[in-house]
Amino acid sequence: MILEAKDLNYYYQDGEQRRYILKDTSVSFEKGKFYAILGQSGSGKTTLLSLLSALDSPQSGTVSFNEEDIKKIGYEKYRRNNVGIIFQSYNLIPTFTAVENVLVPMSITENEIPEDSKTVAYNLLDFIGIGKSKADRFVNKLSGGEQQRVAIARALATNVELILADEPTGNLDEEMEQEIIDIFKKLAHEHEKCVIVVTHSNEIALQSDQAFHLRKGVLSSYE
Amino acid sequence: MNFIKRGFLGITRKKGKSLILLAVIFILGNLISGAFSIQQATGNVESSIKERLGTAATVEMDHEKINALSEEELGVMEFEDIGVDLIKQIGELSYVKYFDYSMSTYLGSESIESYQGEGMEDEVAMTGPSMDYRLKGINYAPVIDFEEQKGKLVDGRVFTQEEVDNGTSVAIISKKLADKNNLHVGDTFTLTNAVYTYDEETGEEELATSRDVVLEIIGLFEPQSIKEDQGESSDGGMFDWMDIEYQNTVYVPNAIIASENKYNMEEYMKTDAEFAAAMEGEEQTFEYYTPLFVLNNREDSEAFEEEVTPLLPEFYTVINASDQYDSIAGPIESMSNLSKYVLIAAVIATVLITGLVVLLFLRDRKRELGIYLSLGERRGRVVGQILIEVMVVAVIGITLSLFSGNLLAGQVSDTLMKADSNMSDEGVMYYSEIQQTNLTTEDVLDSYEVNLNSSYILGFYGIGLLTILISTVIPLIYIVRLNPKKILM
Ligand SMILES: Nc1ncnc2c1ncn2[C@@H]1O[C@H](COP(=O)(O)OP(=O)(O)OP(=O)(O)O)[C@@H](O)[C@H]1O
Ligand SMILES: [Mg+2]
Repeated sequence: MILEAKDLNYYYQDGEQRRYILKDTSVSFEKGKFYAILGQSGSGKTTLLSLLSALDSPQSGTVSFNEEDIKKIGYEKYRRNNVGIIFQSYNLIPTFTAVENVLVPMSITENEIPEDSKTVAYNLLDFIGIGKSKADRFVNKLSGGEQQRVAIARALATNVELILADEPTGNLDEEMEQEIIDIFKKLAHEHEKCVIVVTHSNEIALQSDQAFHLRKGVLSSYE
Repeated sequence: MNFIKRGFLGITRKKGKSLILLAVIFILGNLISGAFSIQQATGNVESSIKERLGTAATVEMDHEKINALSEEELGVMEFEDIGVDLIKQIGELSYVKYFDYSMSTYLGSESIESYQGEGMEDEVAMTGPSMDYRLKGINYAPVIDFEEQKGKLVDGRVFTQEEVDNGTSVAIISKKLADKNNLHVGDTFTLTNAVYTYDEETGEEELATSRDVVLEIIGLFEPQSIKEDQGESSDGGMFDWMDIEYQNTVYVPNAIIASENKYNMEEYMKTDAEFAAAMEGEEQTFEYYTPLFVLNNREDSEAFEEEVTPLLPEFYTVINASDQYDSIAGPIESMSNLSKYVLIAAVIATVLITGLVVLLFLRDRKRELGIYLSLGERRGRVVGQILIEVMVVAVIGITLSLFSGNLLAGQVSDTLMKADSNMSDEGVMYYSEIQQTNLTTEDVLDSYEVNLNSSYILGFYGIGLLTILISTVIPLIYIVRLNPKKILM
């Protein structure tokens, strides 16, 4: 068990009333597996992911990484050392090249990074399907699919075991989607990562090792 | 790709924005550096002129206050004297380096010729009773005029305390006066204390009696002219007159002057019964001293004045040598004030404008900053990156404006001073015990100079960089409050 959420409560105060997005939600994830979380728009998928990635904190409940409360690890520290996040809108730095974008987290993390970080970054991009010539391009001169690959490479750059993605294929066509799914499967099954993907896509749900459904603040497993 | 490298990339990858920021800082920097240059230059003038005015202070009748009195009030007013005890009490204050009190009188002579300036040897056509020699009494044996470089002892010695206390008949005269009369150290010369009667009807003066004052020369002095290098200046006439006055000064112990005054008064009373009757019963004193205090530091003069004023009898006031500065430094003072306000306004404008520009640029880059935070970057380092971006540009902008603003200040102040000095009345002259200087507004303006010295450079970098640093406070608060989830998800 690499990641565990316990009794998460997250609500917005609506006047006198609390509008719960997550209600006593508990779930756990393991290494080497590819997870999908589905749910209707507005059901709270992004909220859950923001709690798992320590970009937000719940009103109650805990998230533990390798049995340790991430609050205790420290949110910032957890983000720079333990988790890689992929966003729907890529969120790359437009004034940097692809390889520079991958180098950014390497200079932030405290994880061990090989001496020649530039080579590692090029190799990572190559592994994800971005060749040398594209790697040296400014990212706003890459296609959406290519940009999302760079974002995946960036999430992998710090050599973390946990990858969280919020609708990574939301802006991509089916062909591109399949390529991304293949990468996630490879990461989980060949590289022992834990990959958690929040999505609307049934394709991802079908190809995942385990899929959850979020409805009315409650997370349930498809089987 | 750490935050330092990111900072530099932030500058080079967004050249347009960097140039805009550079232009803003450069323009505002010129204002700051111009105003600061003028501030520095006026400050230098003030300290150098005050330096030249010296650290002397004296206690005098407050003429302004007395002039304000009505005739009636003046009639019944009894003015107290400053006694030796009070002078000594003031002299004991810690601010005082040394002090003296002095009486002076004018005597003539039949046996020696007075100095009348260079090249005027032939024109000695004096008629009537002459009183060419100014006897200046001394209580401080080493002679303050010599210690303060007004004059320099070139031969012989100064007084001993014994001579001063006993009123020994010894004198120090100028080298020029001695040369003219072929006198040397060890010689004696004779002055005449003449008592004249004054006929009110005819207005004629007549010699009643006289006595010789025989003095032994123990030393010779030469004036230390502050204007030697100036050659022919517009106020040369005044300068010559002051020089002649000083060349004919005879330093003697105070007691000699007291005794000559006493003789003169007593003999005069014998010839004027009316006057003698009026003076009948009044306590006779022949000691009216003018004190002179030389302070340790120019900066002490205000504290000295504050401490001494309550000790003084009514209608007396403390006068510092540097007080004269205010009366001759009009154009400089107004420029100093103007530049001070410009400086303050420029600093405030810079803080606001630069702050706003940086904030606008940061809002544009909100997403980038959110990304760093989502990757777990410490907020301090994100702040550091922005500081590097702003400060590197600021250093360049400030360095450029350091020179151009200084140049500008030179031009502006030349124009300002020309306009100003035409309006101010020239050459307000002062002549009193401590203000024997003929510095004029012109001298003040002459010593004004805008230049690039190290204190200006350091000071301007200090002010400039600090101003920019302050201007980044609001933008940096913006960074600290960024919420990456809201920006990115
Ligand atoms: N600042 C906010 N104040 C109040 N309600 C909010 C706020 N932000 C989000 N919500 C609500 O929280 C709920 C969950 O939002 P969330 O973004 O987690 O949904 P989601 O499942 O990711 O939806 P989508 O599939 O459209 O991305 C939504 O109903 C949304 O309206
Ligand atoms: Mg969402």
